[in-house]
Amino acid sequence: MRLEKCWFCSSTVYPGHGIQFVRNDAKIFRFCRSKCHKNFKMKRNPRKVKWTKAYRRLHGKDMTHDSTFEFERKRNRPERYDRNLAENTLKAIKKIDKIRSDRASDHIKNRLKTGKVQRQKEARKQLEQGIHLVKAPHALAQDSSLCLPKIKVNVSQAQTEENQPMEE
Amino acid sequence: MVQYNFKKITVVPNGKDFIDIILSRTQRQTPTVVHKGYAISRLRQFYMRKVKYTQQNFHEKLSTIIDEFPRLDDIHPFYGDLLHVLYNKDHYKLALGQINTARNLISKIAKDYVKLLKYGDSLYRCKSLKVAALGRMCTVIKRIGPSLAYLEQIRQHMARLPSIDPNTRTMLICGYPNVGKSSFMNKITRADVDVQPYAFTTKSLFVGHTDYKYLRYQVIDTPGILDRPFEDRNIIEMCSITALAHLRAAVLFFLDISGSCGYSIAQQAALFHSIKSLFMNKPLIIVCNKTDLQPLDGISEEDRKLVMEMKAEAMKTVIGQGGEPTNEEGVLLTMSTLTEDGVIAVKNAACERLLNQRVELKMKSKKINDCLNRFHVALPKARDQKERPACIPQAVLEAKAKQAAEKEKRKTEKELEDENGGAGVYSASLRKNYILANDEWKEDTMPEILDGHNVYDFIDPDILLRLEELEREEGLRQAEEEGDDFEMDGQELSLEEQEALAEIRKKKSLLIQQHRMKKSTAESRPVVPRKFDTDRKFTTRRMGRQLSSLGLDPSLAISRARSKSRGRKRERSVDKREGDGRDAMDIDDNQASKKLRLRSTSRSRSLSRPPGEVIPGEGLKDSAQKIKAIKLAKKSVLKRNKNARRGEADRVIPTLKPKHLFSGKRSIGKTQRR
Repeated sequence: MRLEKCWFCSSTVYPGHGIQFVRNDAKIFRFCRSKCHKNFKMKRNPRKVKWTKAYRRLHGKDMTHDSTFEFERKRNRPERYDRNLAENTLKAIKKIDKIRSDRASDHIKNRLKTGKVQRQKEARKQLEQGIHLVKAPHALAQDSSLCLPKIKVNVSQAQTEENQPMEE
Repeated sequence: MVQYNFKKITVVPNGKDFIDIILSRTQRQTPTVVHKGYAISRLRQFYMRKVKYTQQNFHEKLSTIIDEFPRLDDIHPFYGDLLHVLYNKDHYKLALGQINTARNLISKIAKDYVKLLKYGDSLYRCKSLKVAALGRMCTVIKRIGPSLAYLEQIRQHMARLPSIDPNTRTMLICGYPNVGKSSFMNKITRADVDVQPYAFTTKSLFVGHTDYKYLRYQVIDTPGILDRPFEDRNIIEMCSITALAHLRAAVLFFLDISGSCGYSIAQQAALFHSIKSLFMNKPLIIVCNKTDLQPLDGISEEDRKLVMEMKAEAMKTVIGQGGEPTNEEGVLLTMSTLTEDGVIAVKNAACERLLNQRVELKMKSKKINDCLNRFHVALPKARDQKERPACIPQAVLEAKAKQAAEKEKRKTEKELEDENGGAGVYSASLRKNYILANDEWKEDTMPEILDGHNVYDFIDPDILLRLEELEREEGLRQAEEEGDDFEMDGQELSLEEQEALAEIRKKKSLLIQQHRMKKSTAESRPVVPRKFDTDRKFTTRRMGRQLSSLGLDPSLAISRARSKSRGRKRERSVDKREGDGRDAMDIDDNQASKKLRLRSTSRSRSLSRPPGEVIPGEGLKDSAQKIKAIKLAKKSVLKRNKNARRGEADRVIPTLKPKHLFSGKRSIGKTQRR
């Protein structure tokens, strides 16, 4: 039993799911669901369809080269069973997974960083330029910080009574 | 060696079919269209062609029949006799002769009619001539119909004859019916002949093949022969007689000692003697079958005598061949096909005898001398008297012995399965014989899938090392990351600044929205002067709110606005009366001043108005008029609104031909008008 990759979107196809199409030149196309299958039949190029992994890798949205990818390689010759090796492999898979996902998220974070910086600069500029819409210049002159003015509320002062000690 | 294969004879069609085939072929392959306006030579040619064509076809087909059927004189006498026995030579020849005559007749007819056609003077005459010609040819064929049917039957039967090669090494099995000839045949060859308890189970010759000393021998099983005068024999017996007569083969005469075939030994001996003339020059072996029922030693004296007589006869044949010393064992043999006791011995003996005889014959013939000169078997000359037997190393002998023992001792999986309850209950442990580093691991189940990965793809003997490296790398990378992160945090806006920014953006979007609305309705929007402020947008309270949200103190502005709205007079009167207090007289004054000032201009209080109240500047006389005006306005708008029209000039039809009005059948009624 093997988990395969969908040819169109590159997600994993679990057993019992999807469709396999074998072309006359014996090339096998596996699809995870009918969405991918129908897209394939429409002859769409996955590298141009935004939500596929192929597009994302091609356009640098997701991580492409990494040493963690080399751990997972299809081996054609089976190895003799060794319990220790099996145990170690299972533990290793978890660790490798974690590292890989960390690296992938870091990659995305870095990618989005420049946008963030830009947006912050823009926001600051907008704030400086538009502060006159929410704060009168007089108020600005008094309190030069770029935030909303504090609204003074007239509280009706009760007559101050002398604090008389309570009659006992 | 020519293999007599009668399977390749083409099918002989019966009379009607024959005519149909030929005529339809003529119809198809010759031109069909002819008009009486054509030139006469063309007409003649047209019909001559048809006649000729038909004749040619008939000739062809009949010739193939005649050629393909074998001529009984030309083939091997065995086949000739066999066919004679089966089909009667005379009938056969007659049938073929009829075909031949038919062929000649047809040729003659064609010739005559073609000659006549050459002088035909009209379409009609030519046509009738052609019709007559074809008709006559067809009649000829109809007359030979029975012969054709007969030949077809013969052909079918011939195709099923066994392919016996008369020249190769052959063994012939003969004897009374039910003595065990077919069982013997089944035992030594792969032929599957019917074996049944009734006589004449085998009704024709059967061929099987067997091997001896790397040579292939034909074994022919014959139907049983009864002891009758020659003329009384039926066709089935005649088959075997023919085979005996013509094939140069080793003869195995079968004798049923037990008598369970229904005939005594005396009868069988009598048969033997009557056909012994056929055994000339053939190696003869007398086989006593069914010894499991009755051993040879146990028979009575007379029977024994008869058997010995037969043996003597057989010996004569041996002596007759090349004067070999009498080999008693090779002549009279016992066996039982049921217990398979002695079957192989019989076969070997027969093959041996036959081989020897054939070799002798070949030696005697002239051709062999040419070859003999080329043969030379080299044997090493013995240098001394020492014996040198084959040398088998001890290890090999031991291994052989062990193998034999092992084969008996080893328990097979099948036995194991049977012990534990059979196929449905026990499932063999396939892992039993696995070769692993540690035998405890044999029953381990290994997961194939983990967290969306195939475990087999990750297996690697040095995965631990690589993992360590990876973790080291990762550690370094994370350290670098943290360094980078610290640079970032300078630029963020504080919470209050963010609030301010949000407000700014909200205000801006509001402004934009309003502007857009204004822009779109600019042309149709009525411009109401601001002083009439129907929406009560311009109140001091509102102003106060807005100013204070901007961070200014509104109290001064509010008071100023209010004072302005009240007008000068009010101020003055307020000044004067400050000290006095209010009398009734002042009220009049107030009222008078009130008249001049209208309540609407005071923006200090927002009060709801009654619907019909006339506002000066509108141009209406009194409230009744205003009410009526309002009513009229609403009425005029009502219909339009109900039709979802935006205004007077909106004549848009969104769909010119809505489908539900222009298509479909009515459940009741007609659709004449839409």
